[in-house]
Amino acid sequence: MRDLFFVAFLGAFFAAGFRRPFLFVLAYVYIDIVSPQRLTYYLLNAIPISLIAVVLSVGGWALADDKSGTRIAPRQVLIVLLLAYCYATTINADFPVEALDKWGWVWKALAFAAFLPFTLRTKLRIEALLLVMVASASSIIIVGGAKTIASGGGGYGTLNLMVSNNSGLYEGSTISTVAVAIIPLILWFTRHGTIFPPDWKVKGFCYALVFSCLLIPVGTSTRTGLLCIGLVALLMLRDTKRKLLYLGLLGAAGVLAVPLLPTSFLERMGTIKTYKGDESASTRLAVWGWTWEYAKEHPLGGGFEMYRQNKIRYDTEKVEGDVGNSTVDRKLTVDQARAFHSAYFEMLGEQGFPGLAIWILINLTGIIRMEVLRHRYRKDTEQAWVTPLASALQSAHIVYLLGAAFIAIAFQPFVYMLIGAQIGLDTYLARKRRATVWRPIRTPRPEAVAA
Amino acid sequence: MIDNFALAISHGLIALAVWRLLRRPDLDREDVPPPPRKGRPRA
Repeated sequence: MRDLFFVAFLGAFFAAGFRRPFLFVLAYVYIDIVSPQRLTYYLLNAIPISLIAVVLSVGGWALADDKSGTRIAPRQVLIVLLLAYCYATTINADFPVEALDKWGWVWKALAFAAFLPFTLRTKLRIEALLLVMVASASSIIIVGGAKTIASGGGGYGTLNLMVSNNSGLYEGSTISTVAVAIIPLILWFTRHGTIFPPDWKVKGFCYALVFSCLLIPVGTSTRTGLLCIGLVALLMLRDTKRKLLYLGLLGAAGVLAVPLLPTSFLERMGTIKTYKGDESASTRLAVWGWTWEYAKEHPLGGGFEMYRQNKIRYDTEKVEGDVGNSTVDRKLTVDQARAFHSAYFEMLGEQGFPGLAIWILINLTGIIRMEVLRHRYRKDTEQAWVTPLASALQSAHIVYLLGAAFIAIAFQPFVYMLIGAQIGLDTYLARKRRATVWRPIRTPRPEAVAA
Repeated sequence: MIDNFALAISHGLIALAVWRLLRRPDLDREDVPPPPRKGRPRA
């Protein structure tokens, strides 16, 4: 039954693409995030739908799309450079077979991120892309939110998000970070959306979805998610007009939420302070230390999946008793092939210093460019949607960079689409600015959207 | 049950968005005027 539903849905999606080729791009975005082929039992598993979508997207753009004024943004060059560098480390990888496996999906994410901005030629396309990204992620977020309410959360790794293989956005920590990161984007739709003009229904849905996003870190009991919530609350303070009221409401919400949170969540959050006694946190520190030592000897990186060679020994420390009379219980733990648990060290170990440098440059440029746009369009009443969107994209990016400190999501495709959207917004506005400068006598363009 | 509910909502949303995008000329070109905001069929 579900299989037929997905087949019909995708069929209709592709059919729509033949009328408007940009919809192929959206179809690919949907397939990449939701992975419908993993939610079904037979029909879709046999067909390479992702490949079909990408071929149609690129083909549709190459044959039918307007390409006048298209320029290549420096960040697209950086992404291609990172792609080429990753290819080089894959050929010389410490674990050639496993590296090839990861390369198989990384190159697609990078290539698509470099291609995506070319297609984002209109404001509506940028909005449509973000809408499909949010709606696709919402299929996982609503499941997680509803199950958290129903069961009080299952604790890390036990919240059933429909797919059991714990990969992509379906992994607990990753979805916590992404769910919290997209909150500012969801809120943008409550004020500036044009596909669904904001009325009480749209706003109600958006707020419910934000609530669901906040429940994901509770349901999955991920500490990273809690940190991300704190950061997003802080970032939203920037664009709030009544700051004191906002802080008051935030405080009240926090006080109200604590008694309602499940004990399993509170216990796990309590371990943020006593991280030394916690194996998951101690392993991270040990793996990071090991990666740093490795990078000093192999500055060009060991290729994808190189963490498999690590052998680490570390002490977990447990302090018992009160301040005056405490005993410290140290336990030696030996482990091997532990994952990075951090995108920064993932880049350092796998791609070495050059790869890490390009990756950081791609990310930092994104944040800086969004800051530039935020300021440039602050007083532009005709395009009042720009500053809040740049702000939301920037906040999402900053939250991701915090989450990435504790999860190995350096190549998370969802984030590269977000970066693609940033570049698209940037080049779109640049094109518009050029058009206004060159044709100053033309009648003023019709107002795109009322705020 | 919850799975199907979430899939129905999110996919319904995407389907409706695609349907509306098909009727928006400003999806591909902005030099044509966008349709009036309230005038779309079945808004």
